[in-house]
Amino acid sequence: MKIGAMLGDIFGSLFKKPVTQMYPYVKQEGPNRLRGQLVYNSEKCTGCQLCMKDCPAEAIEILTVDKVNKKFVMRYHADRCTFCAQCVQTCRFACIAMSNSEWELASANRQPFEVYYGREEDVAFILDKANQTVAAEPAK
Amino acid sequence: MEAQTTTGKFVVPIGPQHPALKEPGHFEFTVDGEIVTGASVRLGFVHRGIEKGAEARNWVQNMYMVERVCGICSHVHATAYALGVEQLAGVTAPPRAQAIRELVAELERVHSHMLWLGVAAHEGGFDTLFMYSWRDRETVMDLLEAICGNRVHYSVNLLGGVKYDIDDKLADQLRKGVDFLEGRCEHYMKVVTTDETFVGRTKNVGKMSKEEAYELGSVGPTARASGVDRDIRIDAPYVSYEQFPVKLITDDAGDLQARFVVRIKELYESFRLIREILDHMPEGELTVKVPRRIPAGEAISRVEAPRGELLYFLKSNGTDIPDRVKIRTPSLCNWSSVVNYAVGHKLADMPMLLAGIDPCFSCNDRSVTIHRGGNVQNDWSWEQLRQYGIAYYR
Amino acid sequence: MNTPLSLLYLLIFPGGLFLIAMGLVYEWADRKLVAQFQNRIGPRWFQPLADVIKLLAKEEIIPAGVSSGLFTALPIVAVAAALTAALNVPMFGLRPAYSFSGDLIVAMYLLSLMTLCTGLAGANTNDRFSLIGATRTLTQLFSYEAPFMLALLGPAIMAGSWNISEINAYAESHLWMVVTQPIGALVAIIGLMGKLELPPFDAPEAETEIVSGALTEYSGRGLALFHIGKDIELVIGLTMVSAFYFGGLSNPIYFIVKTVVLLLITAGLQSLFARLRIDQTVGMWWRLGALLALLQLLVLIVFKGFGL
Repeated sequence: MKIGAMLGDIFGSLFKKPVTQMYPYVKQEGPNRLRGQLVYNSEKCTGCQLCMKDCPAEAIEILTVDKVNKKFVMRYHADRCTFCAQCVQTCRFACIAMSNSEWELASANRQPFEVYYGREEDVAFILDKANQTVAAEPAK
Repeated sequence: MEAQTTTGKFVVPIGPQHPALKEPGHFEFTVDGEIVTGASVRLGFVHRGIEKGAEARNWVQNMYMVERVCGICSHVHATAYALGVEQLAGVTAPPRAQAIRELVAELERVHSHMLWLGVAAHEGGFDTLFMYSWRDRETVMDLLEAICGNRVHYSVNLLGGVKYDIDDKLADQLRKGVDFLEGRCEHYMKVVTTDETFVGRTKNVGKMSKEEAYELGSVGPTARASGVDRDIRIDAPYVSYEQFPVKLITDDAGDLQARFVVRIKELYESFRLIREILDHMPEGELTVKVPRRIPAGEAISRVEAPRGELLYFLKSNGTDIPDRVKIRTPSLCNWSSVVNYAVGHKLADMPMLLAGIDPCFSCNDRSVTIHRGGNVQNDWSWEQLRQYGIAYYR
Repeated sequence: MNTPLSLLYLLIFPGGLFLIAMGLVYEWADRKLVAQFQNRIGPRWFQPLADVIKLLAKEEIIPAGVSSGLFTALPIVAVAAALTAALNVPMFGLRPAYSFSGDLIVAMYLLSLMTLCTGLAGANTNDRFSLIGATRTLTQLFSYEAPFMLALLGPAIMAGSWNISEINAYAESHLWMVVTQPIGALVAIIGLMGKLELPPFDAPEAETEIVSGALTEYSGRGLALFHIGKDIELVIGLTMVSAFYFGGLSNPIYFIVKTVVLLLITAGLQSLFARLRIDQTVGMWWRLGALLALLQLLVLIVFKGFGL
């Protein structure tokens, strides 16, 4: 029995720098395996859509531009993503990876959460199509 | 206020919003001065419909869903689920995967017990111990993040294996972290068992005998602190607990202090296991193939979560979507013991007693039926359930 | 005494504004030191001030079923008592603003009035947490008050006076009384912590049990005033103990150095212990604190009776 068993700790701390991390001002690099934002490489994609089926949060949409010529675009909803990396495992052609530097994804509006991956002209084609449907809707 | 005027009893409510509990649960303590004369608990404020939700997702998706039942013991939930599915599919994950599952489970236990140590100290007003144990817990969080890339939801499991391998560099990092934590835990053991003010709050508080622990169905460290030798890792070894066995830790005192001692001793055991696994990691593949459609059948898998026995019941109808997922979480089993031994203690002891079982409120989103004699009915029709619900919440 | 000067004393220095600012600075220092002891960074310097401003700007909710006059009056009385007590102590190492023989007793009572107000505030509201908090506050008042008083009487007996400034002058010219009366000093420091309801004596406001104790129902201005009152009490308590036991306060530099060192000690003690249950607090004070203080007093009386 003694009084003040943590005396050593608190006395030591008096002369130590606090361990608190000053996060937004001083940023620490994450580990190598950090699971951040999804990265998709359309070159190798076969459009099997298994990632879409396995995603627990329905954050992935694979949009087909041209099935024969293997032109695919991924619409990635970063706000839905739970960063579980199942899609990375599911993809047999290693098209999907997770960034270990892009992880500060907070935003004040929804716009940046919808990310398109793919060849530039394919993305433009998809966006164009989406805009046309939006424009066509009020006419209905 | 009404309670105190109409029944003449003074009832102190704790929760669902109360600084003692960072999660929602409702407790009513009838007090006479400072002495508690009655206790009741009401749970279910965090019902999220996970079991029902599991019936609308496929086997792979559900893995991540059940991982989110609890934020602290996420890995054991996924392990229990994966083991159940593998059992149904008739495959076994390779030995290396099993060893990594055990390694992560033990790291998770370290993180969970250290978190609990801090929370329990905070409930007893010992904020310094709280701050220090949480500071040191950062080490194990960083290790887990280095292994899998996330601090809370590790997502290490796959159906049929694990995602992440442990290389030599990581193993060294783990050994170093574990050495540091072991030193710190020995220090905390000293603090918890010798500091006069802290011992005054824990010794002979919330005593539960071995018989009571059996009768009330306690699980995990709470039961082991009362001398009940119950640990799934030993009784029914899963993953690689057969190859890397764990020693059973029990204590006969059965009071709050014993719960501290048992948990810290379990930490020592976890550190030993982690080193052993790292030294004798089996070589080989990380995954085996699991079919997308799981053959029809039923499976039960049991694992030892940091809080006690966790049970999964899985039923498949041969499609890629489960027919039924039933989860029985450890926290739920321990509530009756708290309500039982709370009576007769001081109100000031209540937060520590509540924290003593390491409650996880998100684990409590399950339904319990307690039959107090009378007409016992085991099968309920939908209409009956509906009527019961309406009557209950009226 | 002429009126403008008295008003200055009361409102600006050393009473009123100066004391409030001082109290907030000391509260910050206390929180910062505890944080340092716990290896954290703690709040920035303006945090207590920001808290008070925020509370003052907020609506004050008077709950149903309370005597609203008492509810509004109690915080004001508490702050007034604390401010009045400050006039009698050598604040900032200067001569007390208002001094008469026997002001030690008056200051002690004025300081207790603050705790009494807190207790009454809790008893006045109908809230369960407040009622338990009030019971605990008043129970604790009865436990530490006598030993703390006895501990402050030690230097008074040595100086042969009940006047704070005379005791201060005596302490300056003699060996530090923490050396000659170590037991009294210990009881005084721990008594001060009990008085201020600092951990480990924070059972009356133990957040994990009874939310915020007696002040649970207070919001807005009332809560801000109670906070200010407590901060002022912290400054006065530190001043009194360091004036009596740490060789007196003759100038501002001594004042700052001595009170901050004392604050360092209390912050260390705050972070060293688990919260005591109210029965443990009472038991400790009556079984140990009161006896130690009496022992010290006995030694002093014997010493003074035969030694001189």
